[in-house]
Amino acid sequence: MSKKKTKIKLELTRRDFLIVGGTAAGSVVAAQLLTTGPLSPFAGFRQEQVEGLEGTGEPSSSHHWGMVINLDKCIGCEYCLRACSATNDVWVDQPADEQAAEITRPEKPWNIVVNDRTSTGTPFFFSRPCLHCGDAPCVEVCPVRATYHREDGLVVMNYDRCIGCRYCEIACPYDARKFNWQARTDVNPFVPTWGIPEVERRPRGVVEKCTFCIHRIDAGLKAGLTPGEDREATPACVNICPVGARLFGDLNDPESTVSQAIASEATIRLREELGTEPSVYYIIPKEGL
Amino acid sequence: MASRILNGRKLFYLSPAMIAWIGFLGLCIVIGFISAFEVFWNGLFITNMSDSVPWGLWITIDLSSIALGAGAFTLSAVVYLFGLKRFQSIIRLAVFVGFIGYTTALLTLIMDIGRPDRFWHPWVYWNIHSVLWEITMCITIYLAIMLVEFAPVIAESRFLSRHTWIRTSAKYLHRLAPLLALLGLGISLLHQSSLGATYGIVKSRPIWFKPSMPIMFILSAVAVGPSLTMAIAYIAEWITGKATVPHDILRTIARFSGFAIIVYGYIRFWDLAAVTYYGRTPLVSEAFSLLSQQTPYNFSFWVFEIILGVVLPAVLFLTPRFNRNPGYLVMGAIFAVIGILVNRWNVTVGGLFVPLSYSPGTLYQLQPGKYFPGLPEWGIAIGIVGYGLTMLTLGIRYLPLFSSEEHA
Repeated sequence: MSKKKTKIKLELTRRDFLIVGGTAAGSVVAAQLLTTGPLSPFAGFRQEQVEGLEGTGEPSSSHHWGMVINLDKCIGCEYCLRACSATNDVWVDQPADEQAAEITRPEKPWNIVVNDRTSTGTPFFFSRPCLHCGDAPCVEVCPVRATYHREDGLVVMNYDRCIGCRYCEIACPYDARKFNWQARTDVNPFVPTWGIPEVERRPRGVVEKCTFCIHRIDAGLKAGLTPGEDREATPACVNICPVGARLFGDLNDPESTVSQAIASEATIRLREELGTEPSVYYIIPKEGL
Repeated sequence: MASRILNGRKLFYLSPAMIAWIGFLGLCIVIGFISAFEVFWNGLFITNMSDSVPWGLWITIDLSSIALGAGAFTLSAVVYLFGLKRFQSIIRLAVFVGFIGYTTALLTLIMDIGRPDRFWHPWVYWNIHSVLWEITMCITIYLAIMLVEFAPVIAESRFLSRHTWIRTSAKYLHRLAPLLALLGLGISLLHQSSLGATYGIVKSRPIWFKPSMPIMFILSAVAVGPSLTMAIAYIAEWITGKATVPHDILRTIARFSGFAIIVYGYIRFWDLAAVTYYGRTPLVSEAFSLLSQQTPYNFSFWVFEIILGVVLPAVLFLTPRFNRNPGYLVMGAIFAVIGILVNRWNVTVGGLFVPLSYSPGTLYQLQPGKYFPGLPEWGIAIGIVGYGLTMLTLGIRYLPLFSSEEHA
């Protein structure tokens, strides 16, 4: 297009036409490939695919381990907290320095048990392990894949890989993660009364979390046991509960106790609007929430 | 060139002020080393960070120093991609300041992670879903790019003058500059934004979770980074008494910064209006009222972030009354830098102060996070600042940062 002429005239050469047409056609093809084709990075790019790259060689599992916590039954005895802390050797504040810890650094165990109240004022007890989200923010944000999904729905950590950046702690919507601020030299006050440590202490400088007692599940399955029914294959917090407020089992199995409970009772999951798909269901108090 | 260094040497060696300055830098670095030793020996336990506020002063320093290093990629892009060759004379300084900013960030990160011995894990165990992974990759790649960009300057320094082959190869390297600038621009745009996305994607925290986060981070970085380079050029000139970068170029950079700060302020205004007024949600309102009641958030936001960080620099950089006077330009840059620091602090610590809410009932609420940096954290911060200033001093003293010969 020459500028000498005052009148603007559209001169379309064959060359220009081919360039413009080719670009447009190319864009359409590219857009198609990127949205629906095999190259689509956003359409089909799920966490699982990326984790598949790791090639852990783990057989794909038909299980999805989940927990049901009955808020109506829980009596707030904190046995689950103690059994968990003993079995997994989790740091707990010594009763003596509770005051001091409150001031400096309140440490939470993997399991928390707290007083809560419904909107109508009825008190109940609320406890919370890690919820083992199906779409877990902690897995998404970890820069080194130290936290990952297993095929059976568990969100577990590789403590040998964690660099201790604590982004997962920041991203977890449920405050379920704990950082090891110092090397552990403490004596666990719940051992041996509430259990014997079955896993080793995590080193200084890594984040840790509830595993649903993964070591019991894995060993139990190998021995032909059913987690949730056979005690040796069931998380410590579920076994110890004196009122049976915690159920554990396979959410994929419609016959399991957890599936039955979810089918027959009114249940909720925490902050479902975030789309995290927790594997822990809560049976709400009879009065409602 | 040689006479400049000789004159500079006089000032650098003989004046009592210089000796005091070196003493001050040494003290900062010693404090830094003692604190680093304490932290490595005892673990992060001795910091004031906790499970409810796991990030604090050090992350603030990380974010700020990377933002302040943004002059490097912005000015490189201006020269090599947009072809404004007259800005060539500030490129070396900009890249040098950027290099200091990025190494500062990496040094602080090494202190901040729980397992410094595993710092290399992100390169080996990729999680392409993690913005933090992307940031780590980008920062390290960009650091390498800056090293290559800066290699010709080091090769020109007097120490290496007897090895002519270094200088020759550096000249070839210099031809890569446009390519490096392009790469640097892409990578910087990516990670400067994703530093904001680090917060913006955390859906459980209402005052972070918004798409404006990455945009505000990159805009503020692009606005303030070049003005810091500009200020350093002036200060270097005052101290060495030798012309560094032509003043009209420095003033143009200041004016660019002023406009960019206004754009940033505009986005900031709409972010504030949309998040806290037009589109407010109960969770966001609650979070902000908690922040304004229990922390000096409101004061620091309006006074440091907006007035000091946006309004004053914009006025000082843009109005002819002020921007003809280098003193005001340097002052404006200092204000803008303070604005960045306070902004990154407010984002990080303010966001973590607001407790999560996930309980199904109405009684149980997590306590607001408590955090004020402890002594070791301040010690590391002092050491880090000492490192940055030492590098600058050495660079201005020994490197041909302001020679603009040989450039085509």
